[in-house]
Amino acid sequence: MWAQGGVTDEDKLSRAQARTVIGRVFKMAAPFRKTMFMAFACVCVTTVCALAGPLLVRRGIDIGIRQSDSRSLNISVAIYLGVALIAYIFGRAQFLYLNRTGESFLRVLRLAVFRQMQRQSMAFYDRNKAGVLVARMTADIESMAELVQWGLLQFIAAGMLVVFALVLLATLSWQLTIVALLVMPLLIAASMKFQRDSNKAYLTVRERVGANLSALQEGITTVRVIQAYAQEEETIRKFTKSNRELFNSHEHSVRVSTWYFALIEFGGVFASALIIGIGGWLVHRGDVTLGTVVAFTLLLSSLFDPVQQLSQLYNTVQSAGAALNKLFQILDAKPEIDEHPGAIELPKVGDLEVHGITFSYAGSETAALKNVSIRVGVGEKLALVGPTGAGKSTLAKLMARLYDPQSGSVAYGGVDLTMATMASLRERIVVVPQEGFLFNGTIRDNVRIAKSSATDEEIDAAIAAIGATDHFSTLPDGLDTEVRERGSRLSAGERQLVALARAALVDPAVLVLDEATSNLDPGTEAEVEHALERLMNGRTVIVVAHRLSTVQRADHIAVIADAQIAEYGTHEELIAKAGRYSALAEAWKRSQSAH
Amino acid sequence: MTSIESDTEVAARLEFEEAQRSEGWKLLRAALKVQRRNLLLGALVGILWASFKVAVPQMTKFAINDGIEKNGPLLRWALIIGGLGVLTGVLSGMRRYVAFRESRWAEMLFRERLFSHILRLHIGYHDKAQTGQLMSRASSDLMQIQGFIVMIPITLSNVIQIIAVTAILFITDPILAVVALIPLPFVNLSARRFSHRIHPASIAVQAEQAQLANVVEESVSGVRVIKGFGAEQVQFEKLEKEADDILRESMKAARIRSSFMPAIDVLPALGLVAVLGVGGHRVINGDLTVGDLVAFNVYLTLLIWPLRNIGMIVALGQRAAAALVRINEVMSTKSEISDPTLPMQLPHDETENLGSVKFDKVVFGYNAEYPVLRNFNLDIQGGESIAIVGATGSGKSTITRLLLRFYDAQSGHVYLDGIDVRKLKLSELRSQIGVVFEDTVLFNDTVRNNIAFAKPHASADEVERAAKLSGAHEFILRLPKGYETVIGERGFSLSGGQRQRIAIARAIVANPRVLVLDDATSAVDPSKEGEIREAMKTVMSGRTTIVIAHRPGTIALADRVMLLDEGKVAAIGTHEDLVSTNARYREVLANMSADADAESQEV
Ligand SMILES: Nc1ncnc2c1ncn2[C@@H]1O[C@H](COP(=O)(O)OP(=O)(O)OP(=O)(O)O)[C@@H](O)[C@H]1O
Ligand SMILES: Nc1ncnc2c1ncn2[C@@H]1O[C@H](COP(=O)(O)OP(=O)(O)OP(=O)(O)O)[C@@H](O)[C@H]1O
Ligand SMILES: [Mg+2]
Ligand SMILES: [Mg+2]
Repeated sequence: MWAQGGVTDEDKLSRAQARTVIGRVFKMAAPFRKTMFMAFACVCVTTVCALAGPLLVRRGIDIGIRQSDSRSLNISVAIYLGVALIAYIFGRAQFLYLNRTGESFLRVLRLAVFRQMQRQSMAFYDRNKAGVLVARMTADIESMAELVQWGLLQFIAAGMLVVFALVLLATLSWQLTIVALLVMPLLIAASMKFQRDSNKAYLTVRERVGANLSALQEGITTVRVIQAYAQEEETIRKFTKSNRELFNSHEHSVRVSTWYFALIEFGGVFASALIIGIGGWLVHRGDVTLGTVVAFTLLLSSLFDPVQQLSQLYNTVQSAGAALNKLFQILDAKPEIDEHPGAIELPKVGDLEVHGITFSYAGSETAALKNVSIRVGVGEKLALVGPTGAGKSTLAKLMARLYDPQSGSVAYGGVDLTMATMASLRERIVVVPQEGFLFNGTIRDNVRIAKSSATDEEIDAAIAAIGATDHFSTLPDGLDTEVRERGSRLSAGERQLVALARAALVDPAVLVLDEATSNLDPGTEAEVEHALERLMNGRTVIVVAHRLSTVQRADHIAVIADAQIAEYGTHEELIAKAGRYSALAEAWKRSQSAH
Repeated sequence: MTSIESDTEVAARLEFEEAQRSEGWKLLRAALKVQRRNLLLGALVGILWASFKVAVPQMTKFAINDGIEKNGPLLRWALIIGGLGVLTGVLSGMRRYVAFRESRWAEMLFRERLFSHILRLHIGYHDKAQTGQLMSRASSDLMQIQGFIVMIPITLSNVIQIIAVTAILFITDPILAVVALIPLPFVNLSARRFSHRIHPASIAVQAEQAQLANVVEESVSGVRVIKGFGAEQVQFEKLEKEADDILRESMKAARIRSSFMPAIDVLPALGLVAVLGVGGHRVINGDLTVGDLVAFNVYLTLLIWPLRNIGMIVALGQRAAAALVRINEVMSTKSEISDPTLPMQLPHDETENLGSVKFDKVVFGYNAEYPVLRNFNLDIQGGESIAIVGATGSGKSTITRLLLRFYDAQSGHVYLDGIDVRKLKLSELRSQIGVVFEDTVLFNDTVRNNIAFAKPHASADEVERAAKLSGAHEFILRLPKGYETVIGERGFSLSGGQRQRIAIARAIVANPRVLVLDDATSAVDPSKEGEIREAMKTVMSGRTTIVIAHRPGTIALADRVMLLDEGKVAAIGTHEDLVSTNARYREVLANMSADADAESQEV
């Protein structure tokens, strides 16, 4: 089969990069250095065995048959048998050692990359599209699995075979070696051209396969909208186009390989013709023996096949190198939010103090927060309100150190969050995000995300706390209902209830709630709010509010506008001020009333 | 008793599987029929190639015997061999090209048919089907089939090659032929056994890889939830388990490879040893020439690949059959919702108020034992607007889905303009209903194409007018490339409220008789909602509109309000009526009165 692989010019590793990549691979593979060494030893043995065959045939013909020496012939046969046996035994061992090394390496790589990805701050996830990160962890690593399973073995074996075969041929007859090498320039030039062309063809195929799969996936996941607007025909037409393009790229890539394989096939036969022709003449002159000519015709394939394999595998190896390089880049990316050496535990209780922070998202010129200071006392409830895009969620996220401010600081109980251990930080301060993402699994599993150690009773209690027990018990499978992809089995409000139950499960000192604009009917919502109110009792709460009722329950209200705190005070104070807050409250009231 | 029953069950299952498999083969045969000519050409080229390929060692033998040993016309032999090289080269290229081209063509056609079938399947099917599963039908399963078709011309030439080589060997020296050929069937056998055993193992590896991919995908998409709750360790443990599973399954596969591959490599060497040993003695005895011996060797090597390939194609064929069965499972699923045989036409009389909707004694549940709607009756006049209010999970969105005929009611009828929706062509029905779903789905495409989705050739004016009405125009202009900005999962990310406004514009462009807004402004900032509401009045005038909403301000857009409770219409009337007369209505809209109370207390 034809090995696949390829890299774009920009991904192609420079020699220095390649050296570092290889060096790091060996460093990462250090724990299994022994198996790696064994694998290499086995490869050497089997390669030598592969070359010994034709040699033994030559010996059999020249010393045994032509001299009519049966004993010598028998010895050759016996050695050949022994060599075959050794090749078999070491062949088995080589597979196991090589696969063990490779797969263990991939496992270590997977764990390391994932751990590193998880340590990264939110800013990292803003920068990198989800699809790309998933591809790094899956397609990129899997493409190396193929290499690990057989490619690397072939690559090493082919390389060794070429060298050994050349040495061997040269010792047999330098004249015939030159003859055999006559075809080499052609073969090498063709291989190089093929390697370039197929690289390009492969990249196009890969791109089109990706586009085709995306079109396929989009069609399947958006089928409801497509059918609702009766756009099946149009969507199929577009898909057909991408499908035909994929076919064209496949066709092109076959065409690229067709002439090459034809040439290789021709080259092989042509070389034997040369060996027979010139070799025969040399035999007549008495320069070489007939056995040598025969051995040469047999050994030719040991020279041609590996050259051909090398050129095909070259692309695979190169793209694996490029993939590794990208993975190492992830490993090297220092998490912006990381535990400081000598970090200390956050105190159990304390004020949350934001001191003059300025923050802007990477790649955006305007600051999302400008010189914001605010203090939230123990057990105090602070509501953040303001127009869309003002920076409310941003402030909430900074308070939980999902991002670090560019200047200024956030401290809890007098300890700067950047000096706190990650474990104690995530334990004291919990953020319930605006969009409640549902994972594959049951309702129960989805609630448990908030606290992995929670017992079923605790989860039932959390569901009860938000008053949703009755509701979920009407579902055929109750809390064990599989929510399906992204929760599609549930109604919009039910999904939100599941996400809210998470908040009721945790028990942090500081709760940061980024309130979602709601899909709940006001009745259910009121129930949830009561539950949340109970939840807020006795802890510090920062809530990004979109509803009057929530705001009214807060001790203080901060109005965020244009990345700054525009107003701060209690509900009554701010209403009396007749500024932004009172205008906002008016708008909310209007939407709550029928006119 | 039970065992007999399970026996018949097993028999029934086997019969079913058998039927499916034969259906699958029929599918493949039908697909290949179109390409019969090219495939035959490929086979012909393959046969020619095999004959020339087989001739090469024969010529080598003559060259050695006649040219070298007997001082014959060496150059001529060399030229003949070179000429054969040209022929085999050209033919092998052609064979390869035809085989790949045809298999890719078949794959492409299959994928097209599969995709159009999937797109037309009823929504109830899509509820249960997993995206990943359907994806692998249209990708990896089709790859299996492609891999099989590619092998057809190659296999044919392999068979010819084996027959020809075996014949030549026997003609040259029957005894040596028998000796030399003994190990070779084992190559074939091992290859077949290997293919059989490695397949489930590699499927297992793939399954583990898919599970790992799921964990990664969720961890990345749900990173906010994970970071918020500090659940990194949980995800890491999940991933570690999957990585361990991959290692375990991969090593299982490696063990299978290690027990077959070296054997498959070594077995042919045994044939060569036998030729050298037995043949060598026969040369010494004068029964055979050295040239014959060498040719024998070369022929044996010519047999190795064809035998391996044939061993593998059996397994490949079985794999392709299994893939075909899975594909056939999808293809043979009839859409439960399809066009009627004799569709009726919707009335098109402009003078009347079109777009009346009627639900008549509708009973429906996603699971028949748990009805969501029970005896649901609703009459909406053409041009009227109605708001649907109800608790979470009461079935509001379900009503929309029945109107669109995503599902058929278990009993009762749904009418559009007096015609049962089941008697209308789906495209006619659906083109008259514009829905804004509660989860906004956008396509990876430009803003313009997203808005013009229902009407791909809509003019720029139409698109902008719709965007203005839905309150989207302003922010669209502020996007990096305005209307040409690519949005969606892989494009520019928009806020929830912005997404909803684009979805509303999409429904407006469709210019339907019935407009359905399912919680369509829930993510829009309340202070912005007021503006949109004004514009919506324009859109709604003269058009039947169903609004599902929780905010009284939005509810007030409608002429009437209907309260859905326990699967029935619990009350219907104006908002004021219901507030004053219906306790359940007040309950569902609880916080409004709560706010009102709070307000009155303050004042
Ligand atoms: N991940 C991000 N990358 C870049 N810019 C961002 C990111 N998240 C938010 N922004 C920008 O930062 C600003 C503040 O956003 P933020 O989410 O804090 O607003 P908000 O007040 O919470 O609004 P809303 O009420 O709509 O949730 C906005 O201009 C927004 O576009
Ligand atoms: N695809 C589905 N398969 C099975 N059950 C479903 C499906 N979709 C919804 N349900 C169930 O049917 C009931 C009604 O759902 P529906 O989505 O109509 O509720 P809704 O009134 O729109 O609620 P919400 O206000 O939360 O959107 C719910 O209990 C829900 O769990
Ligand atoms: Mg926000
Ligand atoms: Mg709904």
